Amino acid sequence: MQEEVFNELADLALKSSGQAIPKSKSYLIEARLAPIARREGFGSMADLVHCLKSRANPIFAAEIAAALVSKDTWFFRDRDCLQRIVEDVLPKRLKASNTGRLKVWCAGGSTGQEAYSLAILLADEMPPALRGAKIDILSTDICKVVTEKARIGRFGHYEVQRGLSIRRLIKHFTRLETGQWEISEDLRSRVSFRQHNLLESAGGLGKFDVILCRNVLPSMAKPARKRVVESLAEQMMPGAMLLLGSGENLIGITDKLEPARDFRGGWVAAGTANAEASAA
Amino acid sequence: MKTCLIVDDSRVVRKVAARIVRDLRFEVMEAGDGAEAMRMCRENMPDAVLLDWNMPVMNGLDFLRSLRREEGGARPLVVFCSIENDAEHINEALRCGADEFIMKPFDADILESKFAEVGLV
Ligand SMILES: C[S@@+](CC[C@H](N)C(=O)[O-])C[C@H]1O[C@@H](n2cnc3c(N)ncnc32)[C@H](O)[C@@H]1O
Repeated sequence: MQEEVFNELADLALKSSGQAIPKSKSYLIEARLAPIARREGFGSMADLVHCLKSRANPIFAAEIAAALVSKDTWFFRDRDCLQRIVEDVLPKRLKASNTGRLKVWCAGGSTGQEAYSLAILLADEMPPALRGAKIDILSTDICKVVTEKARIGRFGHYEVQRGLSIRRLIKHFTRLETGQWEISEDLRSRVSFRQHNLLESAGGLGKFDVILCRNVLPSMAKPARKRVVESLAEQMMPGAMLLLGSGENLIGITDKLEPARDFRGGWVAAGTANAEASAA
Repeated sequence: MKTCLIVDDSRVVRKVAARIVRDLRFEVMEAGDGAEAMRMCRENMPDAVLLDWNMPVMNGLDFLRSLRREEGGARPLVVFCSIENDAEHINEALRCGADEFIMKPFDADILESKFAEVGLV
């Protein structure tokens, strides 16, 4: 790929979603944009970029920007963490909150596997301490296509075989004529989906007890990471927890959050981790 | 090293599966039908069986039923593998003693995910 074509697309990714795509990964750009290029009949990435600039169509630009991001996800990715959220974090939050209601946000939730996995755990293995609680799960993503797919709740042959046991598949999904598998109405009703760019204010989404932002930040440039994390921190209720993917951390990114004492990968408002541990 | 018996009448499928299973650090044995697989199990009970449904001589279900009746035959973790992927077929395989079920075609990610599901990796 020519240097200026790469620069143009990398710049678009950085500005629109915060993604930092290194030059060594220019093949990723080609792979992710190939379906759009084919559909639009562009012979090369240079044609695509030319059109992007000359059309100045924000919808097309947003589509390109969303396509440049990895959407990879699967059911029960890091099962232990999801399990501990259900068994440990949510019951503690419920006890502390007194409202009988819990709000969970999967920020950068892609096609919904993360949110649906939580919903499946809540349906199959609801801990007694959570009985009767109203638990809202919201999953958001910058990409309109994945958000829509998540909402419809239909998954392909490969998707339903990554991370999902066969017993859970036949319990919670129905096979359609098309060969796709549709998640049950009950599970769909437990999760809602919205398109949202994490670089923008999340004020309209309300405040949450638990926020998952897993496998989203590592591919972002450092200033974007800071901006996203601080905006997530704004949406945390007092005592809430942010959960990052395994191996991710916020050291050197923000001083608004600190590691939770009793939950690896969990982050809480700065200055509260000790208080939390002694209250527990 | 754990052992995995791959039972499929297609040599190509066995070859592809064997490569993936070896990458998961299993010692691999192969059988082309249920009867051959049964003989091999009597000699040397594997830790895991990756089992095709439709095979001549003895199909996957018949093999599984007899395996589970054999001495030591309750131990291997059996992952069924089939192009029949409606709930009825899947339930039948589970009732006969399968631990997991892969809908064909599959790739390395799926196989690894299913092996992880039953605690093999
Ligand atoms: C690799 S997936 C991870 C999905 C899921 N959280 C998981 O752990 O499996 C990352 C998701 O983050 C989304 N994403 C990336 N940048 C974003 C941004 N600025 N705003 C919202 N979503 C974004 C991508 O569209 C993608 O679906």
